[in-house]
Amino acid sequence: MRNEGRRTRDERNERPLFLLIVALFLLVGCGRPTETAVVNLSDLRPLAEPEATTVKPLRVAVAAIISPRGTVDSYTPLLEYLQQELDRPVELVQRRTYGEINDLIEAGEIDLAFVCTSAYVVGKREFDMQLLLAPRVQGDTVYYSLLIVPADSPAQNMEDLRGAIFAFTDPISTSGRNYPVWLVQQMGETPESFFSRTFHTYSHDDVIRAVANRVADGAAVDSLVYAFALEREPELAAQTRVIHQSPPFGIPPVVVNPDARPQLMAELRDVLLAMPHNPAGRAALQAAGIDDFVPIEDEAYDSVRTLETAVNLAVSD
Amino acid sequence: MFNSPFFTYFWRFAGAFSVRSKIMGIVVALALLLGVGITVQVRAVFLYTLEERLQEQGVSVARDVAARATDMILVNDLFALYQLLEETRNNNPDLRYAFVVGQDGSVLAHTFGVGFPTELIEQNVPRGDDHHQTILLETDEGPVWDTAVPIFDGRAGYARVGFSENSIQTSIARLTSQIVLTTVLVSAIGIVAAAGLTWIVTRPILQLKEAAEAVGQRDFSQRLDPWANDEIGQLTTAFNRMTVELAQAEQERAEREQLRSQLLEKVIAAQEEERRRIARELHDETGQALTSLMVRLQMMNELCANPELKTQVEGLRQLAAQTLEGVHNLSVELRPSVLDDLGLTAALERYIQEYRRHTAVEVDLVVLGLEERLPAPMETALYRIVQESLTNIARHAQAETASVLLERRPDRVRAIIEDDGVGFDPLAANNGERLGLYGMRERAELLNGQLTIESSPGQGATIYIEVPL
Repeated sequence: MRNEGRRTRDERNERPLFLLIVALFLLVGCGRPTETAVVNLSDLRPLAEPEATTVKPLRVAVAAIISPRGTVDSYTPLLEYLQQELDRPVELVQRRTYGEINDLIEAGEIDLAFVCTSAYVVGKREFDMQLLLAPRVQGDTVYYSLLIVPADSPAQNMEDLRGAIFAFTDPISTSGRNYPVWLVQQMGETPESFFSRTFHTYSHDDVIRAVANRVADGAAVDSLVYAFALEREPELAAQTRVIHQSPPFGIPPVVVNPDARPQLMAELRDVLLAMPHNPAGRAALQAAGIDDFVPIEDEAYDSVRTLETAVNLAVSD
Repeated sequence: MFNSPFFTYFWRFAGAFSVRSKIMGIVVALALLLGVGITVQVRAVFLYTLEERLQEQGVSVARDVAARATDMILVNDLFALYQLLEETRNNNPDLRYAFVVGQDGSVLAHTFGVGFPTELIEQNVPRGDDHHQTILLETDEGPVWDTAVPIFDGRAGYARVGFSENSIQTSIARLTSQIVLTTVLVSAIGIVAAAGLTWIVTRPILQLKEAAEAVGQRDFSQRLDPWANDEIGQLTTAFNRMTVELAQAEQERAEREQLRSQLLEKVIAAQEEERRRIARELHDETGQALTSLMVRLQMMNELCANPELKTQVEGLRQLAAQTLEGVHNLSVELRPSVLDDLGLTAALERYIQEYRRHTAVEVDLVVLGLEERLPAPMETALYRIVQESLTNIARHAQAETASVLLERRPDRVRAIIEDDGVGFDPLAANNGERLGLYGMRERAELLNGQLTIESSPGQGATIYIEVPL
């Protein structure tokens, strides 16, 4: 009896020691999630080519008028609407420059494109890019080039920006490049002589940010993009100021490639024109900042051509 | 608790080592325990911290890649994407790999060069609303913290970066070897210090032990220097006080003993003198008186004619003769004059002759080398011891034979008295017997001699006496 009692007591004494040792091992082992997948990092294999899809997607290009992320945000509802209406996958294609998009359209890689005005003018001239429709924004199919400066800048016109840092959007943009260059040329100068330094941001919303953050002393921007950007980022209004507005230019159109099948063109036109007539279409239009789509004639872009010719002549002199 | 079997076992184990070993053992065990404990703990904390930092780095780099890759993916600028990944890899030495998966699940760019470990893709696929998702991948190159971050809320795919733990393992190994090295060095210093300390601590203890053994051998002159005022120093002081007091007590005892033996010597001398005087008195005065009484009675008997009176006188003369013999015997018993006159051998022969006449014990006396007389006190003492022994044999031993050996060696005299009687236990002898034995021993010791009794019940008894000359 006595011995048994003693053994029990000894066991009780040993238990905390045992627990302490176990706790020590647990402490050492803690902090490691138990993920036990073993991957062989030196087992390098060729990557599988993307599978050819059975249904050819409708490839829609959106020129980098606004930044790639902004484009996705604005155009995704419209593309989803198209996808639903056409009952085929729709793929958004973006490139850094207008030129790259034009090349893709020329090569027939793009079925439908939202391009900027000058890109259309160039595309029309070079490979007969076809106009499909034009969006109407705030009731009209025109837009302007706006000369903007930081809100606290003393500049009142282009003359005041002599020696400043100036930001262009795309090298072939009408509103972001050709118009301000034309303005400088009217003063008998070139951008290189007039400004101390220039750079390209490629998209219009980035050029607004560049001015707002005083990376640039001035810039020219698409009025549609400016209005749209101010709507989404109201603080930009307080940071920038418009000092000049150009004459109206034809609005950036919706185009198709020169070899587009008439049936597809008709189908696309019908779907786009019908958008204001159903709620999903209206929501998609609203997200893209567009009232509706209307037919447009090539003549609407003559003023753009005139400007381009003037600028290019001056440059080639 | 302290008398449980566990502690008994513990003390049996711990007690088997010297104090020096114990102290050294404690120091070494402590150093080892501390070293191992610190190593384990520091390793764990270090590992935890480094892994956490690696995970944070992974998340930060993955989010950076995801943020910067967004536009590149949207505008399909795959070369810029590739450059971004390469740049990221160059800026992060621990980065094992980085790659970007497009929305359709295809790898848009990666840092593996030619080919890609395809099974890696499915390991960590984040959801669009994830901030990030980190998992620990076991790979053939060791653990890799894999972080996935959705790009543009997953609408442009996701970025993956893998941070290898190898550099952590290297750091941990380096840290561990440093700690182990430090532990070994500190242990070595500790062991040397402990050895010195042990020597300092145990030296007084060993000295105390040797001194205590000397005290055990009745050497009370031991005095130790208390090195320090610690417990051992106090023990040393107490030990010194004890030896001083023991020395004093020993001195007092020795003085008392000396006084006692002097007194005993005087008492014995006085007793012998008294006996001798009484014996002489009996022999000279009483004996002479009785002898002349007998002579007169003899003459009276010859002169007397009356036969009845003659008979009466003859009876008186015989009574006188018996009394004379009794007085003579008493005189011899008290102090045989032959001891003084002819020496120990003659006295013993005479005594044993008488002894044989009065008892049934056959006594055999052997005397070797005692042609010359011994000093008088020695003769008296030896005579009395033999006398007492034979008296005891006659009274208690029921012996048939006894033998007495007396031998003179160049430097000592030895006597052995032996009997074949019933024997006795020398330690259990009754009071009277013990007193007798004690007297014998005292007599031997007064002569600086030794008396030894060997006996056990049924085995007879032997008494050895040795007295130096």
